[in-house]
Amino acid sequence: MSIILITLAVSVLLAFVLGLGLGFFREKFRVDRDPIIDRIREVLPGANCGACGYPGCDAYAEAVGLEETTPDRCTVGGSAVARSLADILGIVVSAEDKVAVLMCQGTRERAPEKGRYVGIRTCAAAKLSAGGTKLCAWGCYGFGDCERVCPFDAIHVGPDGIPHVDYDKCTGCGKCIAACPQKILSLIPRNRVGAIALCSNRNVIKAMVRKTCAVGCFKCEICVRNCPEKAIRMEDGLPVVDYALCTSCNTCVEKCPTNVFKLYERDVFPLGTAAGKAAPPAEKEPAEVT
Amino acid sequence: MPVTLKIFIAALLINNIILMRFIGLCPYIGMTTDVKQSIGMGFAVTFVMVMASTVTWSLYYFVLVPLGLEFLQILIFILIIASLVQLVEFYLKKAAPALYMSMGIYLPLITTNCAILAVTFDNITGGYTFIQSIVYSVGVALGFLLAMLLLAGLRRRVRTSAIPAFLRGNPILFVLSSLIAVSFMGFAGLIK
Repeated sequence: MSIILITLAVSVLLAFVLGLGLGFFREKFRVDRDPIIDRIREVLPGANCGACGYPGCDAYAEAVGLEETTPDRCTVGGSAVARSLADILGIVVSAEDKVAVLMCQGTRERAPEKGRYVGIRTCAAAKLSAGGTKLCAWGCYGFGDCERVCPFDAIHVGPDGIPHVDYDKCTGCGKCIAACPQKILSLIPRNRVGAIALCSNRNVIKAMVRKTCAVGCFKCEICVRNCPEKAIRMEDGLPVVDYALCTSCNTCVEKCPTNVFKLYERDVFPLGTAAGKAAPPAEKEPAEVT
Repeated sequence: MPVTLKIFIAALLINNIILMRFIGLCPYIGMTTDVKQSIGMGFAVTFVMVMASTVTWSLYYFVLVPLGLEFLQILIFILIIASLVQLVEFYLKKAAPALYMSMGIYLPLITTNCAILAVTFDNITGGYTFIQSIVYSVGVALGFLLAMLLLAGLRRRVRTSAIPAFLRGNPILFVLSSLIAVSFMGFAGLIK
């Protein structure tokens, strides 16, 4: 019994003395730093996610305070934090809030698998060992590497086999984008208005695209020809929308034979928010093309 | 040759802590990107190692042994090392901010650096006297610094050479380290 007490007494005494010593030296060697850093740290959300590229909010606050970096790198705080940081520093920022969007609609039914994959159930392993699980080489495998890295619980692989982003929770930190071996998630501004092509298939052979995916872009360029604003162009085999010109006229959405196009503010973004989840819009069946 | 000198040489070259005993590889790989940095890290480790040896040796023989609490050594030694590292951190932040910045995360990592804990245990298991334990820790720390410097120098050359893709990054560093380690085997039998 006494040995336990002695052990306890020695440990506690030692810890106490060391604690006192450290406290004393902390004051003795105190470094006064720019009070602006403390003000910046108060504004930052404190998630310590590292999306800004610094080890944590403290390190980022110091970097911003010393003007080593820009105040718009905090994706968790978004534009609100960026603006208040800019106010503290007396500068102007043009940050916009972004969210992750999956540039693929290849659910299990629409984009068939090329065989039964029995390996390690991560997208990275599937890509490395089997070259992917889908017939489409650009499609989503749906093992949820993005889901596992998300620090905000904002992305989940649904029963349809592709991830769905919860835009109420998504902060646009970009971790899922880095984790996706297919590179088919991208950051898109929250308040974007216009059409968006949700496909990453760059195969130029129409028959190959048709065989591998029901909602794949097979480069017919109907969208490019029909766009009244000439806002769509083909880039690396995929249609790209110029948002300075797009008027959300819905032409490309209606004309696209495989429903690659969606109106971001009507069809994509509301789906990932609480309002959109309450009443999901009825989905149009992919049109048959011969 | 006096015993203390033997202990010093043995710790510095023959039983080099990194190259012969493979302890403390984390800062060895992480902090050798730059010669200046590796010198800074080497001296920080030296300082903490000698301080830790001094304090833990005294504490062991003057407090733990009389009270029969030898089994507490792991716990107490870690506590001492952690506090010393904090102290070094406070001091460096004040006295040498540039060094503090360049060390970044590795300074707190000295807290859990196995090399320092290993030295404090060696002092006890080796049965060294107070002076011998200090000499030993200085020898080990300078051996650490030497290994860091050797690798940092080689990494300069690595940066500009054409290395096969599968060896780029850490693999080539381990190959290099193993070559340095093999050359250090030549020191075996230096003292009898």
